Parts: sequence; structure tokens; C-alpha cells
Amino acid sequence: MQPSDNDELTDRELDSILPEWKAPLAPARLRAAVFPEVPGPWWRRLWTGSIRVPVPVACLLAVVLVLAAWRWFTPQTITTKTIYRDRIASFTADAGAAATQLRPVTELRPRIVRSADAQN
Amino acid sequence: MTPENAFDQHHQAVYSFAYRLTRRQDVAEDITQECFLSLIRAPQRFDAARGSMKVFLFSIARNLVLKQYRDDHPGEPLDGVEEQIATDPRGSLEISSAVATAVAGLPHLQQEALILFEYEGVTLDEIARITGADTGTVKSRLHRARTRLRRVLAEYRNTGSEHATI
Repeated sequence: MQPSDNDELTDRELDSILPEWKAPLAPARLRAAVFPEVPGPWWRRLWTGSIRVPVPVACLLAVVLVLAAWRWFTPQTITTKTIYRDRIASFTADAGAAATQLRPVTELRPRIVRSADAQN
Repeated sequence: MTPENAFDQHHQAVYSFAYRLTRRQDVAEDITQECFLSLIRAPQRFDAARGSMKVFLFSIARNLVLKQYRDDHPGEPLDGVEEQIATDPRGSLEISSAVATAVAGLPHLQQEALILFEYEGVTLDEIARITGADTGTVKSRLHRARTRLRRVLAEYRNTGSEHATI
């Protein structure tokens, strides 16, 4: 290839040089980007899907779970209220001890009200 | 024509067009993707009476390239001054790089006319529809582009024919 003395190419020469510049092939991933795969049935997405949870929400959920677990495994106190006619007795005890503190009713005053008498 | 068919037939041409104008594969990929997503989103915008699918897609791609050009060259006119190119680039550039550099030195509007006509086989009338100019203007841009390239690439006089005969 020797330098030419002419200042310009002819049209024909230019036409032979221009095709030397080749563009790269389009990447195969373009099709997937334009036409994404159709999602499968809902039950399959349920198993394979994922959700994004913001960190504050995840922390809050973790705290709620820890509190729930703590409450679940801690022995609970039971407050029993027995309502008598003229007084209210309250017992606060552990679930196991509550039964031992119950006493029989000291005075039972049953009163029967019949609907027919009530009308008279 | 379905978007899938349009993609199969024209995506390489759209990609090449965007690549030659931007000279960046990532940008060309984004532009090609956006071009076909526009077709999928609003297929009713394609009117066969106003031109072929290829013309429609090149029009979208051209607008996206222009947007990219304006982002990269704020305030620079599209029909600006030709850039100076080294008079004898043979020592440092391959012939393909030399052609790419020479085309890149053209004003943007001349580049798109040349690339559409020479590389994508688009007719002058179709280029006029794509660019929104009249055919005479496109012809003039193409003529100026070729005149400039004939001068800039004169150093490669025999290279093209040598490659052509291999």
C-alpha cells in the first residue's frame, strides 16, 4: 500500500472502503430484555418467588417475633374474679395455685323466678 | 407484523445504526431495547401507510440517539463544524478504525444520513421521512459527507480494494 498523490478518493474507491467498518452483532440478551419470559403458574411462583423487605420493616418484624416468643414461653399469671352477691373477691395466682384458693360458697340463696308469676 | 417478527427482522439493523452513531455498544443496546419496548407499548403508533416498519423503528432509534447526543454534547449544534482528523492515520489506525473515526468527524446530521444510506440500505426518501427533512436536504448532507470522506480517507486508496479481492 503506497500513499497516493491524489487528494481524494473516487466514489468507487470510497464505496469499497466504507464496508470495512463493521458494526458488532447485537447481543443475544437483547431478546430476553425485550421479551421477558412469561411467568409460570401462581403455585410455582409461590415456591420460587421472593419479596424485598426494607431493613426497618425486617427489624420490626424480628422484634415482634422475639416478643411473641418471649410471651409464649414465660409462665402466665391468671386473675380470677368471683362475683358474689354483695362482694367481689379477686384471686391472682399462678395457674397451678389458683384451684387451691377457691372456696365453696358460704351461703347459697337460690331464687326462682317464674315467668307466669312475674306477669301477675 | 407482530413485535416479535419486527424484532427478528430489524433488531440488528437498529443496533448497528445506534452503534455507528454512538460508537458505544452499551448505549446501542439500551437504544435498541427502548426502541422495541416503545413498539410493544404502543403498537398503534405504527402506521403502515406512512412508511415501513423499518422506517418506523429507525425513526424511534434516531430520536433516542439524538437525545443521547444532546446529553453528551450540550449546546452543540447537530449540523456543526466538521472535526479535524489526522491527515495520515495509517500508522496508528486500522482501516476500519480509520473509517469509524472519519465518520465520527462528520456533523451529526451528515453522519446519520451516511450511515442510513451506506450501511443500512435506506433510500433517500425513507431517510427524509426518518429525519423529518426533505429529500433534497438529505441528498445534500449525503453529498457533503461523502466529499469529506473521500478527502479524509484518501490515504487508504488501495486498502479497500485489497480487502475486497481477498
